[in-house]
Amino acid sequence: MNDDRTLYDNAPCGLVSMRDGLIERANATFCIWLGYSPEELIGKVRLQDLLTVGCRIFHQTHWVPLLQMQGSVAEVQLEFLTREKRVVSVLVNAVRRLLDGAAHDDVAVFVATDRRKYERELLLARKHAEELLLSERTMQVQLNEALREREKEAQQRAVLAEQLIGIVSHDLRTPLHAILLGAKLLIATKVTPVQERTVGRILSATNRASRLIADLLDFTQARLGGGLGVTAEPLDLHALAAEAVDELKLAWPGRELLHQQSGDGQCAADPDRLQQVVTNLVSNALTYGLAGRPVTVTTRTDGDSAMLEVHNFGPVIPDDLMPHLFEPMRRGEQQVAQGSRSVGLGLYIVQQIALAHGGKVSVSSTLAEGTSFTLTLQR
Amino acid sequence: MSTKARNSVRVFGDGKETMIFSHGYGCDQNMWRLLTPDFAARYRIIVFDLVGSGRSDLKAYDREKYKTLGGHARDVLEILGELSQGPAVFVGHSVSGMIGALAAIEQPEQFSSLVMIGPSPCYVNHPGYTGGFTREDIDSLLDTLDSNYLGWASSMAPVIMGAKDQPELAVELTNSFCATDPEIAKHFARVTFLSDNREDLPKLKTRSLILQSSDDVIAPLPVGQYLHERLAGSTLKVIDNIGHCPHLSAPRQIAEAMAGFLQG
Repeated sequence: MNDDRTLYDNAPCGLVSMRDGLIERANATFCIWLGYSPEELIGKVRLQDLLTVGCRIFHQTHWVPLLQMQGSVAEVQLEFLTREKRVVSVLVNAVRRLLDGAAHDDVAVFVATDRRKYERELLLARKHAEELLLSERTMQVQLNEALREREKEAQQRAVLAEQLIGIVSHDLRTPLHAILLGAKLLIATKVTPVQERTVGRILSATNRASRLIADLLDFTQARLGGGLGVTAEPLDLHALAAEAVDELKLAWPGRELLHQQSGDGQCAADPDRLQQVVTNLVSNALTYGLAGRPVTVTTRTDGDSAMLEVHNFGPVIPDDLMPHLFEPMRRGEQQVAQGSRSVGLGLYIVQQIALAHGGKVSVSSTLAEGTSFTLTLQR
Repeated sequence: MSTKARNSVRVFGDGKETMIFSHGYGCDQNMWRLLTPDFAARYRIIVFDLVGSGRSDLKAYDREKYKTLGGHARDVLEILGELSQGPAVFVGHSVSGMIGALAAIEQPEQFSSLVMIGPSPCYVNHPGYTGGFTREDIDSLLDTLDSNYLGWASSMAPVIMGAKDQPELAVELTNSFCATDPEIAKHFARVTFLSDNREDLPKLKTRSLILQSSDDVIAPLPVGQYLHERLAGSTLKVIDNIGHCPHLSAPRQIAEAMAGFLQG
């Protein structure tokens, strides 16, 4: 049976008492763990002398003030150095008593090697997880950078392509002009009916090519030049529309084209550009509208605004196309005749002209009412 | 975030002149509670927590700003700029001794005198200089801090004994003294123990009192001597004390030495 002294000495934990820092008593367990005899420790050594250097600093910066202020510390991890300079990880509880003006510290020491191993593994796992997270974030950043780089390249390529379109279109005008001139000269001479038909086809094809080139040049100017240039002047909207409708009637024989008007027709705008709007909208209406029904151009001035509307009957513009209608290179897929003059720039240019005038274009399309494009300008 | 909230500043005491207390590495402003009562009758007392310690705003711990002690010195100047009327007495423990010196070099007009308890301009030995530690020792401390991640700094509770002289309220109040974010504790330890401010010493023109413990592992006697020789207008007073916290273990001696210095 254990008496108190035996229990103290052989307790399953190290027990040390200090008086003003100096070891006053230590049990056998503590001495055996550290490899010292009690005589070597008692009255000669302070607890911190047995600590590793790192723990000695910690002892001063944390342990001492804590014991002083709260009278005890629990579950503090420390590392002792054995006589053979081997490191022993321990958990320590300490309580301070004040007796006769001296500080008495009672310390219980538990070896915590396995616990420390476990904690080290936890720590390693945490570090590993942090590294993984970091590398993932780095990868994300790199990916985003690559994406931005790609976008920049694509944008540069697009600008280059648009510039190329501008240059080529411009340079094509001269040879086209020569062809046109030649064809006109030919038709003025005496030609056979077969030759006349051929020259007629050359003329109409050349005209179509010229319009295409004009559209392309407008497109590049709008995209790269920051918008189309317009020169507004006072004009009669009704007269302008009537003239354009007459010209279109000639180009589209067999189709019914109406012009309605209301108001005095006075407004300020660029006449060439307005003509272009009428031509583009009417060509679209004739291309996509029902062949047996009329296309109606309505011009109206009213209060501050001037309006030009082109209406046709026919299939509804699909919902999914609506948001992209005024973007370049978009066009309805149905009913586009082979060799149509459009490359999908017509509505884009109409909108650019509207914007350049400070106006807008709107569209409505229903099965019952048909399709209407409306240009609205300030007078 | 105001300076007061950032550094959990507390102001008390009656007096025209301001006395500001700056704690050292490890704990927080509670370190001063045995010393401040001696001065609260004659001074307006400011205590605060260095950013990263105690109840300071941990979100304000910017590793770039606090990668040198100068970041903390700037905070001291901001606190004084907001709260002090006229030059103040600065009392700094351990690493805060140098923080106060850096602040006083920057804006001498804010300081009437410095009291440095256990200061050290450099903890690592160099040829011709004994700081007390080798570089390996400091690396071992940082290593220990690293591997003690779960054990240190995060919880420093007292032993729950259920004794009558340890009411539960006190337990709750006290167990956060030395608790802080372990990552910040590691960073601050690195900044503190690898700091070398020896070249700043001749720039300090404010009169100073160096309170040196007779036996201090962290700031040994030769360090106090070194500081005294290089700080113009400094007084060196060796306190008979074991350990790095004489303001806790020998507060009467510290208070007397301070009172003598401040009268003189």
